[in-house]
Amino acid sequence: MTLAPAGAALRRTALCLAAVALVATGCTTKPADSTSDGGPKDDASTGSSSGPVTLKDGSQVKLALIPGGAHPYFQPWKATAEVDKADFKLGDVTFNETGEWDQGKQNNVINSLAAQGYNAFGIFGVSPTDINSTFEDLKAKGFAVGSLASCPAGDTNSADFCLSTDVEAAAYKAAKATIEAIGGEGAIVHLTGNNVDSNTQRRIAGVKKAVAETNGKVTELPVITDIDKDLSTAQKAVADLLASKGKDIKGIVTTAYNPAVAAADGVASSKLPIKVVAIDDDAKILSGIKSGGVAATVTQNPVGQAYVGGWLLALLQSKQCTMKTPGVVVDSGSFVVTKDNVDTYDDERKAKTKELETEFAKQLSCQ
Amino acid sequence: MSAPVSSTATEALREDTPVEKPPRGTPWWANQRVGLLLLVVLLSALFGVLRPAFFNQQLVVFPLLRDIAMFTVVGLAQLCVLSIGHMNLAVGRMAAFSMMITGISYDLWHFTLYSGLLVGLVAGTAIGALAGWVIARTGVNSFVVTLALDFLLLGMIPLVYTSLTENAAFVTKPPGMRELRNFSLADVCIGNVCGSPAVPQLAIFAVIAMAVVGWIYARTRLGRELLMTGSSVRAAELSGIPTARRVIIAHAMSGCLAALAGFMLAVSTGSIKATIGEEFMLPSFLGPILGGTLLAGGFVSIWGTLLGTALTTVIRKGLDLLGVGLESLNIYLGLILLAALSTDRIRTLLSDRQAVASSSPPPPPKAAGSQEGER
Repeated sequence: MTLAPAGAALRRTALCLAAVALVATGCTTKPADSTSDGGPKDDASTGSSSGPVTLKDGSQVKLALIPGGAHPYFQPWKATAEVDKADFKLGDVTFNETGEWDQGKQNNVINSLAAQGYNAFGIFGVSPTDINSTFEDLKAKGFAVGSLASCPAGDTNSADFCLSTDVEAAAYKAAKATIEAIGGEGAIVHLTGNNVDSNTQRRIAGVKKAVAETNGKVTELPVITDIDKDLSTAQKAVADLLASKGKDIKGIVTTAYNPAVAAADGVASSKLPIKVVAIDDDAKILSGIKSGGVAATVTQNPVGQAYVGGWLLALLQSKQCTMKTPGVVVDSGSFVVTKDNVDTYDDERKAKTKELETEFAKQLSCQ
Repeated sequence: MSAPVSSTATEALREDTPVEKPPRGTPWWANQRVGLLLLVVLLSALFGVLRPAFFNQQLVVFPLLRDIAMFTVVGLAQLCVLSIGHMNLAVGRMAAFSMMITGISYDLWHFTLYSGLLVGLVAGTAIGALAGWVIARTGVNSFVVTLALDFLLLGMIPLVYTSLTENAAFVTKPPGMRELRNFSLADVCIGNVCGSPAVPQLAIFAVIAMAVVGWIYARTRLGRELLMTGSSVRAAELSGIPTARRVIIAHAMSGCLAALAGFMLAVSTGSIKATIGEEFMLPSFLGPILGGTLLAGGFVSIWGTLLGTALTTVIRKGLDLLGVGLESLNIYLGLILLAALSTDRIRTLLSDRQAVASSSPPPPPKAAGSQEGER
C-alpha cells in the first residue's frame, strides 16, 4: 500500500538506471569550438558530388516523402517516389505515413529515417505552426528539406522551398464554382477540416472572399469544421445539416476530402436540389461529376508535388544546385473540374507539372 | 489526526490490502520494475543489433529521451490522481488550457520563458484543483467530472485561440525556447568535461518532477495520506485525514504536472497550439499502470512510471527504425506489450512458486492475486 516496502528495490532500480544511462550515453569532452546544432553531422549527411546543371549523380541521395499521416490525398506520392527513383537514379526512396497526424510522432519518424541514412526530405508538416522548427533541425544537420503540399504558417518558410497548393486560392476557386453552379444567388455552406489548423483558416478566408464579392447575393451559413476526421463523422454532419437546413441551402462547398465524399453521397440520396462542389479527384467524386450529382471539384497536384519536389531535393542534396532564395513558395496548382473537362483535366495538370520544373529551374543556382 | 492513529490505520490497511508486494526473500528478478528495466534494456539491445542506427545519439537517442521525459511527466500527472483511486480524463486538455494561458503570457504580456511556464503551472494547478473541488463537493465520480471538464475545455480552448490568434497557435517564442528544445547535456560543461549529447536538457524537468513527486509520496505525511485516501476513503476519514482536501490536492498536483508536460511538448514541437495534449490520455495511463501503479489507488510507483513509459516509447522507436508500416505498427506494438507483460506475469508466478516451496506455511491465497486490485 505504501512505498516503504519498495524503498530498497527502488534505490536498487535507481542505481541500475543511473548506471545504464551513464553507460548508454556517456560524457563528452568539450571540443575547441563546439556548437549545439551547427553543421552537418553524423552518418546521415552525405552527398558531395558536383556536376553540371542537370542532375548527374543522384546515387548519394536517399529521398524520403513524409505525409502527416495516412490520407488518400498522399497515395500518389508512394508511386511517384518510385518514379523519382527510376527517373533520377536516386540511391533510395521511401514513403512513410506513420506520423499519425501528430507533430511529435512525425518528428520521430523523420529522425528515424535520418538515422537510417535518408538525407533529402519532402515533408507535409502536421502542424503548420510547428513545422519550421523541424525544418530548422533538419537544415542544421545538413539535409535538403522541401515543404510539400502545405507551407508553414506565417511569413517564414525554413525549408529550402515550399511546393504546395495555395489553399486559400483553391478554396476561392471552389467557392466561385459553387456560386456559379447555384446561379449566383442563394445560401451556401462550407464544410471543412480541423478548425485549429492554419490551413483551414486560410480555406475559410478563401470562401468568404468569394462570397463577399457577390455583394450579398450569396450568403454563407456558419462554417462546419472538424468533420474531416473520418468518413462517418462527415456523413453524420452532412445528414444533420441536410435534415435541419436542407431546404434553405442551394450549394455546398467542401474543402476537405471526407466532407466532400459525404456531401456528394448525402445530397444524392436526399434528392435535394443542392449543388455540391467537392475537392480532389477520388473515383467516387469523379463518377459523381460524370453523373451530375457533383457540380464540380477542385483537384490538386499531388503527383507534381512529389515528382518535382523529389527532383529538386535531389539537386539540392547532391550539392549541384542551391536555391537562389531559400524558402521560396510555389503554388503547385489547383484545377476546377466539371462535367465538361472531367476527361481532360489531367492533361492540364501534367502541363502544370512541366511548368513547375521550368519555374523552379529559374530559382536554382547551379554549378 | 495524530501520527500514531494514522500509522496504526496504515498498518491495518496494509494487512487488508489484496495487493501484495513480493514477500521477503523474494528473488530480485521478481521485482516488477527490475523486470521492466530488463525488458527495456533487452529490447534496446535487440533493436540496436537489428538496426545499429538505434544508438545514433543525435537522431535517435536524443529525441527518444525527450519523448520519454515528456510522457513520464504525463504519466506522473495521472499517477497523482490514481494514488487516490481517481482518474483524470482531462489530463491532455488541462495541458492545453495551461499552455493557452502560457501562450497568452508570451504573446500578449511578453513574459519570459520561465515566468510564462510558472503562469502555466499555476493555471494547471488551478484547473486541477477546480476538478478536485467539484469531485469533493458533489461526490460525483472523478471519471464523470473530468470527462465533463474535458468537453468544456475542448469547446473553450479553440474559441480562445481563434479569437486571439491568426493561425490557431501562439507562435511567439520567448528567448531560450529554441535552445531548450535543442540543447543537450553536452552544452552543460564543468571545466572541459561536458555531459552527454544524447541527453536533452528538457529531461531535467522530468527528473525534477520525479524527484518532487517521489519525495511527496515516499517521505511526506501528505503522500501517505493521499495513498491512504486511495486505499480506503472511509478508513482514511476515520484516521482523521481530511479526505476532501486530499482529493483537491491530488487533482491540483495532476493539473500542475499536466501543465509541465504541455510545456515540454510545446518546447519540443515548436509552438503553443490548441491541440497540445490531444495524445496525452492513453500514455498517461499506460506508463503508471505498466509500472505497477494501481488503478484502484493506494500504491504508486514513480520509477515504474518512467520504465513503463520508456518501454512503450522504445518499442515504438524500434519499430519506426525497422520500417514497420502503418498498417502493422500498432499490431506489433500491442503484441510486444502483451508479450512483455506476460513475461512479467510468468516471473511473478515463478517467484511465488519459489516462495511457496521455500516457506511454510504458504502465503495467503491472494498473494499471487491480480495486480490491478478488485476494490
